[in-house]
Amino acid sequence: MSRKILLVAMFAVLFGVFATSMIELETLFNTYGKTYFLEHGYAETGASNLVTAILLDYRLFDSLFEAGILLIAVSGVIWISKHDVEEKNAKFMIDKYKTPDLFITFARLVYPLMLAFGFYVIINGHISPGGGFQGGAIVATAILILYYIDANKETNIGLIVTVEKILYLLIVLMASISIITQGAFFTNFFNPSADADLKAIYLVLLNVLIGFKVALGLWTIFTAFLKEGR
Amino acid sequence: MSQIPVILIFLPVLTALFIYLFKWRHMHLLALLTQTGMTILAIVYFLHFKDQFEATHIILGGWSDVRIGISLANDGLSMAFIFLTLFMWWSVLTYLYRFGKTEHTFLFFLMFLQGVFLGLLQSNDLFNLFVFFELTTIIVTILIAYKKTGESFRAAIYYLLLNTSGVLLFLIAIVMLYNLYGTINIRVLSEVIHTHADTTILKFAYVLMMTGISVKAALFPVFTWLPKAHGVAQSAISALLSGLIVKGGIYLFFRINFLFESAGLPYHNIFFILGLLTALSGIIFALAQKNIKLMLAYSTVSQIGLIIMGLSSPDITTFYGGVLHTFNHALFKALLFLGAGVIIAVYRTKKLDEIRGVFRTMPIISVMMIIGMLAITGMPFFNGYISKSIIKYGFEDSVFRTLALYLVNIGTTTLFIKMSHIFFGPKMLSYPMKHRQQNITLLLLALACLVFGNFYVEIMDAFFGIDYAHITRISLGGLLDYGITVIIGILIYLYVLKKDVKLVKGIREFKISFETANILFIALLTVLTFYFVIL
Repeated sequence: MSRKILLVAMFAVLFGVFATSMIELETLFNTYGKTYFLEHGYAETGASNLVTAILLDYRLFDSLFEAGILLIAVSGVIWISKHDVEEKNAKFMIDKYKTPDLFITFARLVYPLMLAFGFYVIINGHISPGGGFQGGAIVATAILILYYIDANKETNIGLIVTVEKILYLLIVLMASISIITQGAFFTNFFNPSADADLKAIYLVLLNVLIGFKVALGLWTIFTAFLKEGR
Repeated sequence: MSQIPVILIFLPVLTALFIYLFKWRHMHLLALLTQTGMTILAIVYFLHFKDQFEATHIILGGWSDVRIGISLANDGLSMAFIFLTLFMWWSVLTYLYRFGKTEHTFLFFLMFLQGVFLGLLQSNDLFNLFVFFELTTIIVTILIAYKKTGESFRAAIYYLLLNTSGVLLFLIAIVMLYNLYGTINIRVLSEVIHTHADTTILKFAYVLMMTGISVKAALFPVFTWLPKAHGVAQSAISALLSGLIVKGGIYLFFRINFLFESAGLPYHNIFFILGLLTALSGIIFALAQKNIKLMLAYSTVSQIGLIIMGLSSPDITTFYGGVLHTFNHALFKALLFLGAGVIIAVYRTKKLDEIRGVFRTMPIISVMMIIGMLAITGMPFFNGYISKSIIKYGFEDSVFRTLALYLVNIGTTTLFIKMSHIFFGPKMLSYPMKHRQQNITLLLLALACLVFGNFYVEIMDAFFGIDYAHITRISLGGLLDYGITVIIGILIYLYVLKKDVKLVKGIREFKISFETANILFIALLTVLTFYFVIL
């Protein structure tokens, strides 16, 4: 009991200080970064979606390692959940007879739509909300629905993981091309003053690579969990 | 030439990916090759930029506005830590030479971690620091859980949860600073940080950052993950964690303190107290243990306390004494953990009472272990003596601080007198394994201990430009101090520890649950908030 009272008191203090600092922030708020991206974002990166501009150009170095976190998490989950990476053709816990027919029918209808939407989000990441990370998650969800349609679906995890690693290598290489063309690591390989349509080539390529990598990574994690559940 | 930092980060990452993709038989040789290349690159880079570290500021993406993109920067401290990182990875890779031949997944995580850690050392951007901070946490979690036993899973999850909450506090603080200054470039921030010095939000951001770092650096009272994790991991991983990864937290500790320097926050005394509490609690727990890996792990906690005591000093020479002790501790603790690893592998037990006769069974390893023990207890001519003397010299004015230092030292000495029992006794009859390349690793580390104990003046001058000529290698006072410490240590051992009195047993069986650890974590945050913001 005394523990709980102590905890509540401590949280009250912390929340009080936090609230005070947030009130202070109203007068102290610095808009430098915000205005910079608003004014120069499109001109410098060619992406009207400023999130993509920051993710794939201004702070590409961070994104590489954010993708690295997923890469490490996938390898870790596989290492922990399985005893042999080469093991193929796992059967899944989803029982065909327990999944309602109605659900299977609708899943069949929805599956292509989800896949198409995922690709749309990936490819248009530099124009509209979305991008490789988000679109990749949508594509992965679409793939997972396949397991409801066909419970006996076979997956070769080893192959997916290999492709995922190769994609990560390609992302790093793609991000590094700018050292040859621009003289600095991790930016668009076209000149900042180039046409926005030209620069979009780079953004789309990188978004597609990241999207596939994320989709494959999430697919692997899900499959590993299914096997564990079995 | 100027892009070498980026190459240093990505070379091990790419090597890791290659190892994972092509599981060839001789992949561990590729790792050693990468290691050689990186060492050469780092030396070339250091020699080139030795006198002009301002020029090492690389803006990734080549943006003209420094405040927008991510940048990497080096100085004497980060260069010294880079060399330490490379050296530690050399030790672990050679030590695990045979193991790495077959365990490609392990090598993958190990090499990836090196790249990430080098990124953490060189990054000049707060959010980038956070990313590396997080990635280190995840890789270390997997390395702790690598043996896939129940115990290692529990330790890994404990580590992951506690450290992630610390990392998240760090993230909140970054958001606050960004809203306040519009940039998160560390060099730019440290120039403008004084403009909002008196605001609550700045102080609170500092407190949040420091609490996050305290978890990572295993300060009192949030060190509870460290003995669990270091106790169950493989010996080589324990050596790496104790020697280096924990130092990542300490590195951030002084980086963030540098960043907030001009805001004039009064951090010296409170972190001295926290360091002292860490040192004392670590050594008390260590003395009560009967598992040699746990003894070494708790001893790491106490040495971290000692380092923080040095680093929190306002005096620059004492501060660098703390930095030097970080390096020395990495060397001798890695030596002790790796030596203990060989002993545990031969005797197949971690219990202190069951290991006897190591000296007659493995004379070479024993000599190395004894060098490590002499170094950690502060014998003249070994590296521990130098850094402890520097810190002691800095604390001369205050009786309380000097006494505290002696207390920690006596504890450490007692601990290793207790541990030295493994050397006595008859030879083990059946001697199951050979460990030639392990011997080479241990020899390298022992030599490094001696080098740091004798050529510290040159080393410190080359990296930091600090003159330590006034600290002598040996003095009558130093020898006398050491002798008295050893005698007190033996007395404590004979009259308290050997009899295993009730108190010692109680401490050994004292367990801190995860719930309590979380409450302690919030308590630390609240105390720091009170100290920095409200008072």
